[in-house]
Amino acid sequence: MRWRGVVLHGLLAIAGLLCLFPFYWTLVMATNSTSDIYRFPPKFTFGSQFDDNVRAVLENVAFFQSMGNTLVVAVSTTALVLFFDSLAAFTFAKFRFPGRNVLFVILLATMLLPAQLGAVPQFQTMAAFGWVGSLKALIIPAAANAFGIFWLRQYFQNSIHDELVEAATLDGCGFLGVYRHVALPSARPALAFLGIFTFVASWNDYFWPLIVLTNPDHLTLQVALSSLNRSHGVDYSMVMTGALMAMVPLIIVFTIFARQFIKGATEGAIRG
Amino acid sequence: MELSRRTLLAGGFAAMLGGTVIGCSSSMDTGTTKKNATGNIALWCWPGGLGKSVLDDTIAHFPDQHIKYSEIGGDFKQKLLTTFNGGTSIPDITGVKGEDIASLLPQATNRFVDLKSIGADSILGDYLEWKVKQATTLDGKVIGIPIDIGPTALFYREDIFTAGGLPGDPAKVAEQLKTWDDFLAAGLELRKANPKAPIVADAVDLYGTIVNQGTSRYIDKDNKFIGDQDHIRKAWDIAVKAITTKVDGKTLGGSPDWNAGLDQGTVPTVTGAAWVALDIKAACKTSVGKWRVAPTPSGPANFGGSFLTITKNAADPAAALEVIKYMLSADNQAKAFADAQIFPSAPAAYDKPQLKAPDAFFGGQVPIEVFGPAAKAIPIAYEAPLDGAVAVPFSDGLKLVQAGKKTSDAAWAEAVSKAKQIGKRQGVQ
Amino acid sequence: MTLTAAAPPKAPRTTKPGRRRSIWSYWRFYLALSPFYLIFLVFGLYPVASTILLAFQKWDGLGPRTMVGFQNFGFLIEDSTFWLALWNTIVLFFMSTVPTLAIAMALAVMLHSAVRLKGVYRIAYFIPNITSLVAAAIFFAAVFSTNFGLINAGLRGLGLPTEDWLGEPWGIKIAISTMIVWQWTGYNTIIYLAGLQAIPTEQYEAAKMDGAGPFRTFFSITLPQLRPVVLFTVIMSTIGGLQTFTEPQVMVGNNGGTGQSGMTVVMYFYNQAFFNNDYGYAGAIALSIFVLVLLFTAINWKLLGGRGRS
Repeated sequence: MRWRGVVLHGLLAIAGLLCLFPFYWTLVMATNSTSDIYRFPPKFTFGSQFDDNVRAVLENVAFFQSMGNTLVVAVSTTALVLFFDSLAAFTFAKFRFPGRNVLFVILLATMLLPAQLGAVPQFQTMAAFGWVGSLKALIIPAAANAFGIFWLRQYFQNSIHDELVEAATLDGCGFLGVYRHVALPSARPALAFLGIFTFVASWNDYFWPLIVLTNPDHLTLQVALSSLNRSHGVDYSMVMTGALMAMVPLIIVFTIFARQFIKGATEGAIRG
Repeated sequence: MELSRRTLLAGGFAAMLGGTVIGCSSSMDTGTTKKNATGNIALWCWPGGLGKSVLDDTIAHFPDQHIKYSEIGGDFKQKLLTTFNGGTSIPDITGVKGEDIASLLPQATNRFVDLKSIGADSILGDYLEWKVKQATTLDGKVIGIPIDIGPTALFYREDIFTAGGLPGDPAKVAEQLKTWDDFLAAGLELRKANPKAPIVADAVDLYGTIVNQGTSRYIDKDNKFIGDQDHIRKAWDIAVKAITTKVDGKTLGGSPDWNAGLDQGTVPTVTGAAWVALDIKAACKTSVGKWRVAPTPSGPANFGGSFLTITKNAADPAAALEVIKYMLSADNQAKAFADAQIFPSAPAAYDKPQLKAPDAFFGGQVPIEVFGPAAKAIPIAYEAPLDGAVAVPFSDGLKLVQAGKKTSDAAWAEAVSKAKQIGKRQGVQ
Repeated sequence: MTLTAAAPPKAPRTTKPGRRRSIWSYWRFYLALSPFYLIFLVFGLYPVASTILLAFQKWDGLGPRTMVGFQNFGFLIEDSTFWLALWNTIVLFFMSTVPTLAIAMALAVMLHSAVRLKGVYRIAYFIPNITSLVAAAIFFAAVFSTNFGLINAGLRGLGLPTEDWLGEPWGIKIAISTMIVWQWTGYNTIIYLAGLQAIPTEQYEAAKMDGAGPFRTFFSITLPQLRPVVLFTVIMSTIGGLQTFTEPQVMVGNNGGTGQSGMTVVMYFYNQAFFNNDYGYAGAIALSIFVLVLLFTAINWKLLGGRGRS
């Protein structure tokens, strides 16, 4: 049934193209000038304005500085999330203790709270701690990620056999030892999945950094780029070039860890 | 793990209890104002609010003050309010947009310095009276010096007008299009000759302009709702007339369609403040030299125009005032105009060379000849703190009429009732 | 229905049998959990609880706060814009979630049977998820633009009438949903694919021998085994979908566009707090958002979860 394969691949390919088309279009917009974008019929080919647009972005935005800040925030947040979440997930997955169920329910409930609702009091908390305008205000609150604990707990429950834990305990490992020697090594794919997800979310975060980063030397990329988005006379080609430039590191990180990422999604799946 | 009902209830209850306890201790009102550290002046503004060369020059002019300028993108008012709430990193001098100043006036005594109390009396007379009034509280405190104003004019495409049988010369346009009714009549003529060029870009915008031309708005000085009265209804009706006579282009200002239309001729007029010229110039490649400026039909209005204020957290308000005085002097205002089309709020600037220069984009016309008289004739209207919030249902309603979803009367009734409700929530009668 | 160890996982014994343990001997476990709960308490629960407390107060952001009891809730009930926002949120939720999950499931099934290029497809499908929301929203706003957008250009090319997408209330909803579907389908596809790969192939062979066609196989064998995965995606989509804010804000502005069609409850909250400076009223809206999410999640759990699965 050769044609079945062809139809299948055809549909999959169409879906793939639809997913990637906005990128292509963003590239087109980034290499043309704003007035080209408004032409009808629309322009689908690349232009030669890329250099000019990049130069405009670099002129108007402290690009590399804010990229450095974003990197610091994203890496720190990811590291903290992976550590705290794996620790908690492992505890939930493999051990019994009083209140375990109640605590887990609270964990699930925390996922129901939208972040925007707490913006003003959160800002006051930051002010009380003296963290306003500093990157700490982004890193610390994000280190509590309920989704990560949920996801990793599933993974630990399914992939780590109790015998392994018992063997490690008998060998003399304390709690931390078991964590380090049994849990972490086997969780590498799931950690990769969670890590990439957290990194991307942190990199693209817009709403909260916009509110709390009052110090112009400590901006993250999305906030810095938002200043290009004026209410009137937006230079679209510049804005899209900026957005494109901001995505490049993400794509790099993603391609490096892609295989681990897929493996983590596959093996960490919510099973029955 | 079985999620028994008991566990669920226990968990939920624990969470709620913990939350309430913590929430109760949340009265973190920033009562006292902490003064900033001396030695430098933090200045906040938004992109395009102050001319770059004037800014650099001011910073260089006051080396001892160590002026630190922060350009805040995004929602400036939200940023400012959250910062006030947070109690730290509050700037010494901050810009305040014209559309926001009314809502900040009630808190003036807590957050801003009364400039009259630190010696601003001597310069207040240099600025247009109606603009200074915008930054004056009901009990006479002045909290801001105007940076710029937004006197409106009618920008139009001379080539499209003449091709459509309308006059092209600004003086003749002024004569023929004296009122909005004349304007709409001309629109009918234009439509016959050129159906692709509706004379009104957006009826909702038109409505806003007409409201701005009046001497009263939605709420009066006694905090009573007056948005259902004749002056508003008249503005509404004219906008509806534009819609029903089909001279409305339904093109939202600032949208991609609007930008493209400016150059391509589907948006032949813009009624807006002087700073709109920047947007028009940015959007146009092929129509340079084809635009002209004429007075606004039915009289000038004001759109925008911001202020510089000094917060109560400023370490040295007197020094801050000196900085403001310098930056907003007539000379520097003229320079800012040349820089970034920031229209001066000090009439003395109108005689400066930068403003008297002809503009090639407008075919050699000298814009100040239209804007100067307009600036001096702008009406004074009381703007209540809740004015902006209460105005929203009216433009929403008009949009529905524009889209053909509601009749004018039904939309008006709904807008009035919604506006009253919004006001009621915050104390308007 | 675990597929790993033969016996269900049992917590290993960490003490000598026969001894009563005091709660404090579990200190290691509580310590391991404490980073999360501490951070959540200070930076997650406190701010939201504080906002919800505001629901019973009146505050303009700068002045003092005053207690007003249930006044804000009274306003809420008679506020037609709030109910409109609620309606918009729920409609948008269905308009975006149902296609997302359906398409994701279809793609996952197709990918499962395709052999080559699986990795490439998975990466391609995930890429929309790493795009910044703001950039994507600008892109989609441009695509749906009336005179110069791609969609209308395509319609014009085919000789079909064009629509004023972003100017019509229902068009706005379509544009926003399209963007959400674009962003999240890939992510859900990968999760479903992983779930599919966990189903042992013997079951499929047995079904084929019994003469079952592809659709029968799907509904009788595949779907039931995917139930936990589907529950997971539905709940995550519910929580995320009911909190939609950035997409409509960038696409049609802070007031939801024509007919306020893009106004979601979170956007209404944002407006009341930051534009109208009516923080008390915003707190009341916040409380109702929390109740809404709780309600929908509970409904989803009941419908799809059966007996609480973990």
